[in-house]
Amino acid sequence: MDDRSQRILEILSSSFWPLLKAGIEFTVPLAILSFVLGLAVALLTALARLSGNRVLSGIARFYVWIIRGTPLLVQLFIIFYGLPSFGVTLAAFPSAVIGFTLSVGAYGSEIIRASIQSVPRGQWEAAYSIGMTYRQALRRIVIPQATRVAVPPLANSFISLVKDTSLAAAITMTEMFRVAQQITATTYEPLVLYSEAAVIYLVFSTVLSWLQGWLEVRFSRHVAK
Amino acid sequence: MIQIRNLHKSFDQLEILKGIDLDVQSGETVVIIGPSGSGKTTFLRCLNLLETPTSGALTLADRHLQFTPGRPVAKNEMLALRRETGMVFQNYNLFPHKTALENLMEGQITVLGRSKSEAREKALRLLDKVGLADRADMYPHQLSGGQQQRVGIARAMAMDPKVLLFDEPTSALDPELVGEVLKVMKELAQEGMTMVIVTHEMKFAQDVADRVVFIDGGVIVEQGPPAEIFGAAKHERTRQFLNKLSL
Ligand SMILES: Nc1ncnc2c1ncn2[C@@H]1O[C@H](COP(=O)(O)OP(=O)(O)O)[C@@H](O)[C@H]1O
Ligand SMILES: [Mg+2]
Repeated sequence: MDDRSQRILEILSSSFWPLLKAGIEFTVPLAILSFVLGLAVALLTALARLSGNRVLSGIARFYVWIIRGTPLLVQLFIIFYGLPSFGVTLAAFPSAVIGFTLSVGAYGSEIIRASIQSVPRGQWEAAYSIGMTYRQALRRIVIPQATRVAVPPLANSFISLVKDTSLAAAITMTEMFRVAQQITATTYEPLVLYSEAAVIYLVFSTVLSWLQGWLEVRFSRHVAK
Repeated sequence: MIQIRNLHKSFDQLEILKGIDLDVQSGETVVIIGPSGSGKTTFLRCLNLLETPTSGALTLADRHLQFTPGRPVAKNEMLALRRETGMVFQNYNLFPHKTALENLMEGQITVLGRSKSEAREKALRLLDKVGLADRADMYPHQLSGGQQQRVGIARAMAMDPKVLLFDEPTSALDPELVGEVLKVMKELAQEGMTMVIVTHEMKFAQDVADRVVFIDGGVIVEQGPPAEIFGAAKHERTRQFLNKLSL
């Protein structure tokens, strides 16, 4: 084996654990936390849009408009580098969580809104006819049916989010991609390090796709067609 | 049991119900007939406030509601009224993610606060009554239309309503399945359930109704015992409608 191959192998093996560790310690928690919080924001935003209340639905629209219309990287910079001018200084991790949560909240709200609207009106009426309140009908009848529709696109959002967390490197968070950058700075092997990081992202995404498939099967049980 | 006075309902500017007065006695079976688009569904939906009447008054099981244009009905009054009524829909509207049994238990637990075992017992009793005891654990899509509609009726009954409202309960069914649903309805009528039924099943109306009400153009044109309406309707419009049906 020549020296070059030897060196690449060495770099791969010595960097693998630090990369994976950063992935498990920061990338995955960042993605999961942002997604869970984002879903809560998304649900509230979707309900605000559907509420028929002009003010609430106006606020929801405005929020979605801003988040969808501006780059995520720019949003992260505003939160991390910009907010200190207002006296709000946040560490990299919370800044990233806020940024990604807002993003999931905006895109997810459209998915949730569409999935709620896909439930036939007759389901609401049946729920009301047995005396349910809006909240009971939503929680017991509509959301369980909407979930089946929302799972595939939401799972896609989550997979995108896992990859987008690499943007947090730009606000100094030592997630997986930033660790790759740091090791590259000392080894001068960008192709090796970035490819290695790419493979680990690929593994994460693939596992999530399997999970998505499983969830889809689970939620489509008992429903015709 | 039900008193309706001068009930009006408009959608946007279009007036669909143009002043309806109707009384339904406790234990009575009232069948509503009339041409398509005459406002039968709208009228029935006004009785459990799936539509809010534009104006008029409604008394149902001692709950009195007065409707004024532009003034929404208070939420608690709406809920209270709905708890006195049950509705059976043309397309069944069963909850597809729940079994037949769970469809019957859901409202009992969520709305009435009954215990699971109590709700279950009642649900099983009702499924047995509509002849579906052996289908309790099936999901709606595993049932025929006639079976689904019987579950629909049982689901409404599970809430112990004082009045049952039916909106063309058999018109989505294949002809050979109509009978099994009508049979259940007939039994309910004989047991003294108060029912308001919109249907095109004239034979059923003749057999089961205490009173037939003919609606056309958003008003009650004529009403009376079935023998009178079907045998000797006073109004030309009623006769024309019935003639068309029997052709
Ligand atoms: N939500 C609604 N908005 C506007 N028009 C409606 C609505 N519901 C019913 N209508 C109209 O009211 C009329 C009566 O409808 P409906 O009560 O369903 O009649 P029927 O049940 O006797 O066939 C129809 O012309 C229908 O188009
Ligand atoms: Mg109708």
